[in-house]
Amino acid sequence: MATVQERVIAATAEVLHLDPGEIKPEDDFSDDLGAESVQSVELMAMFEEEFGIEMDEDAALSVQSVSGAVAFITKVCKEQGVEV
Amino acid sequence: MTESKKLHPLVDTTEPNLLEDTFSYDLPPLIRFDGPIVEYIDGKAIEFHPKDVKTRDIFITDTTFRDGQQAQPPYTVDQIVRIYDLMSRVGGPNGVIRQTEFFLYTKHDREALDRCRELGHDYPECTGWIRAVKGDFRRVKELGLKETGMLTSCSDYHIFHKLQFNSRKACMDSYCEVVDAAFEAGVRPRCHLEDVTRADIEGFVLPFVERLMRMSEQVPEALSVKIRLCDTMGFGLSYPGVELPRSIPKLVYKLNRELGVPSERLEWHGHNDFHKVHVNGASAWLYGCDALNGTAFGFGERTGNPPLEAAIFEYIALKGDLCGIRTEAITELAAYMRSIGLLIPDNYPFAGKYFNTTRAGIHAGGLRHDERVYNIFDTTTLLGVPPRVAITDKSGVDGVAYWVNEFFGLKGEKQISKIKVHKLARWVIDQYEQVGRITAISDDELADKVEELMPEYWEKYEGGHRRSA
Repeated sequence: MATVQERVIAATAEVLHLDPGEIKPEDDFSDDLGAESVQSVELMAMFEEEFGIEMDEDAALSVQSVSGAVAFITKVCKEQGVEV
Repeated sequence: MTESKKLHPLVDTTEPNLLEDTFSYDLPPLIRFDGPIVEYIDGKAIEFHPKDVKTRDIFITDTTFRDGQQAQPPYTVDQIVRIYDLMSRVGGPNGVIRQTEFFLYTKHDREALDRCRELGHDYPECTGWIRAVKGDFRRVKELGLKETGMLTSCSDYHIFHKLQFNSRKACMDSYCEVVDAAFEAGVRPRCHLEDVTRADIEGFVLPFVERLMRMSEQVPEALSVKIRLCDTMGFGLSYPGVELPRSIPKLVYKLNRELGVPSERLEWHGHNDFHKVHVNGASAWLYGCDALNGTAFGFGERTGNPPLEAAIFEYIALKGDLCGIRTEAITELAAYMRSIGLLIPDNYPFAGKYFNTTRAGIHAGGLRHDERVYNIFDTTTLLGVPPRVAITDKSGVDGVAYWVNEFFGLKGEKQISKIKVHKLARWVIDQYEQVGRITAISDDELADKVEELMPEYWEKYEGGHRRSA
């Protein structure tokens, strides 16, 4: 089964139309990967769908990097009883 | 000369100071004064005390059916009656909108007057408007009016070039004969000093008003002359330090304090030729005129008159209280005016279709967090118009989320998050970036898209029901 990081990278690549190999954990969604405002929201929506979770809007949108998203999603999954 | 610098250290806090003494939100922002206004007049420093408006009986008078009708085809009798009825509701039982004036010449004019009076409202009191012709007072008297306006133009442009008098004295004598005729008829004359902001104040206006005051001493108080200062061409200026005849502070001072015309018999009538109409009227209030004359939505000759509804909100802001005013009736009055073909611009304050609609996504974001951030006051309660967003390329996800929540009527915890509206936001952005659209997206289009892209919410919040309602 793919790790949380692999799934986050795959979802990010799909929303931002990038090659997954180009995305590194330390990348900032906006500064490094070029996510625009609506794409940041689309990313969060994609994460919710991918992991089957509900995220708090303000907390989710304050996440800036791939590694930050991995940590945040792992925490939310644990809180909501979702196995990852 | 250099002044020593005053230091301004940061007052750090973790609690916001929202200045709610002024911006209470349940009322329009209050106008609060912290001292007198000083104006230099004839070399002397004269103090005015604007705080006094809180206790002075300032009020609004209306000329929607006189000056307002000079700007457009005449209203029908039914329309006048409906507007009068709504205006009475706006002004409330304390007569904040105290008087309105009618032409009296045609059968149509007289029928409109009669039918308005048949409604039995205490306010606005119906008064007349006539030419300065002696015989016209019989008509005023026959119609049972206690007061009428009469044109007493006072600039030399009018005295010599319009009315063709040979001298100022001949003009003044003529006006005073008509005032005498009013007294004889038992009708209170309200002298409209037309073009006063372009008149020779010392040479004609003050001597004329002085004579009117002397004449008024000879009749009962109820007949004493009222004075309307008519800024016919919008030349009046509210700034301190301006010369006569354009200075509103000095004009009011000269009549009120030098000639002793009581504030309750002084009225300001403005025009908007230089975009100064409302603030000029409000300034006249502050400097000693009790009456501010306006028209519904500012409709009036050429560029219009002081908007009645602006005066209403100014009044509340100065008094710090609604004083019985029914502000929500302004929205009803605007809807009625539109229904009979008057154009109120979409961005027109208080009454335009989009007066509290934002198109900027960042503003919509502010509204979503706290509507006070980008709404002038509680427009939902005071005008029945909640703040809204219009969706364009500038709206962003915040704007779309605000629109959806407003559409479904969701507030607080129940609001749908930005994450859940992402498909709709993407559709909006693509309209501009992919399709090349250059127009705003209508509410109907958006509702269709909500139904298509957010079916679970559509079902849950009965969007279909709302749309058909």
